[in-house]
Amino acid sequence: MRIQDIIEGKKQWRAHVARVKALPPDYRIVYKEMQRYLFKIGPVDLPDGSLFSGIVDFFEEGVAAGKGVLELIGDDVAAFCDELVEDSRTYADIYQESVSGRKAR
Amino acid sequence: MDDLTEMLKGTLEGCVLEIIGSEETYGYAITRRLNELGFTDVVEGTVYTILLRLEKNGLVQVTKRPSGVGPPRKFYALNDAGHEQLATFWAKWEYVAARIDKLREGGR
Amino acid sequence: MNLWKAITGSDLTREWKTFEVRAAALPADYRVAWEEIKGHLFPYSDFTGRNLQPILDGALRLLEETAADGQGIHEVLGDDIKGFCAALAGGAGSRSYRDRWREQLNDNVARKLARLGG
Repeated sequence: MRIQDIIEGKKQWRAHVARVKALPPDYRIVYKEMQRYLFKIGPVDLPDGSLFSGIVDFFEEGVAAGKGVLELIGDDVAAFCDELVEDSRTYADIYQESVSGRKAR
Repeated sequence: MDDLTEMLKGTLEGCVLEIIGSEETYGYAITRRLNELGFTDVVEGTVYTILLRLEKNGLVQVTKRPSGVGPPRKFYALNDAGHEQLATFWAKWEYVAARIDKLREGGR
Repeated sequence: MNLWKAITGSDLTREWKTFEVRAAALPADYRVAWEEIKGHLFPYSDFTGRNLQPILDGALRLLEETAADGQGIHEVLGDDIKGFCAALAGGAGSRSYRDRWREQLNDNVARKLARLGG
């Protein structure tokens, strides 16, 4: 990774964080908890951030429609997260593949 | 009817394909349509995850359009692969439904 | 990757250094946790350590984000860092770990939203 990419990535991430901060409190709470969970299970398409910025897009629409966050995604936030990353390979999948030397699924 | 989540798994994607197949539309409208149909437990988040998957699998064409209030909306239309997937869904549905009906009627 | 890099692992070394630079910016208790995480993940490493890079990157992101939020390290990782690492690598017991994370997520959301409602 070039230094340039790191700086660019940081800038984008900072802009993203600013958008999260601008969300109403209930959305912000749920977003942060989701992000924490997703960092742990680590679906592979995380690094480019499109998953996270997509969530914020979606949340902003919900805010504009005057909805509460759980009204938007349902009470089971974990189930929503799992659905989000359902067909993404996780870090664990990749690791397990590298051990067994073949695709895990 | 309540508590359909488990049973709807797998078929909800087909329903969303069908709705998009008849006209270009967006997440909230799709959710409303499903709710009106009687799937009252379906929230926008569920539809969002399905749309995300359809997009990732290259079955839909996505266009951002400005909305009256708030940020631009993503509109979804089926592409050729999406129409194919929809046809497959109905074929599978008919296969399963026909056999389950038969089972209930006590036939073989 | 060219042969020279394969032999010297020089591209990897650079990534490791980036990790350490990022880790050095963490609060002290987080840095301790980072050292522990590396230690526990080491057994999962292949010859070059390449397979651990994305896992370590994810763990580091988690630490960076939660530290920036001012959360206590204990709230983030719990008591069992070894188990946490096994789960990160998809090793034994990772399924039950994921279930626990799932529960934690929903509990945290319920608790924090309730507090918000006053």
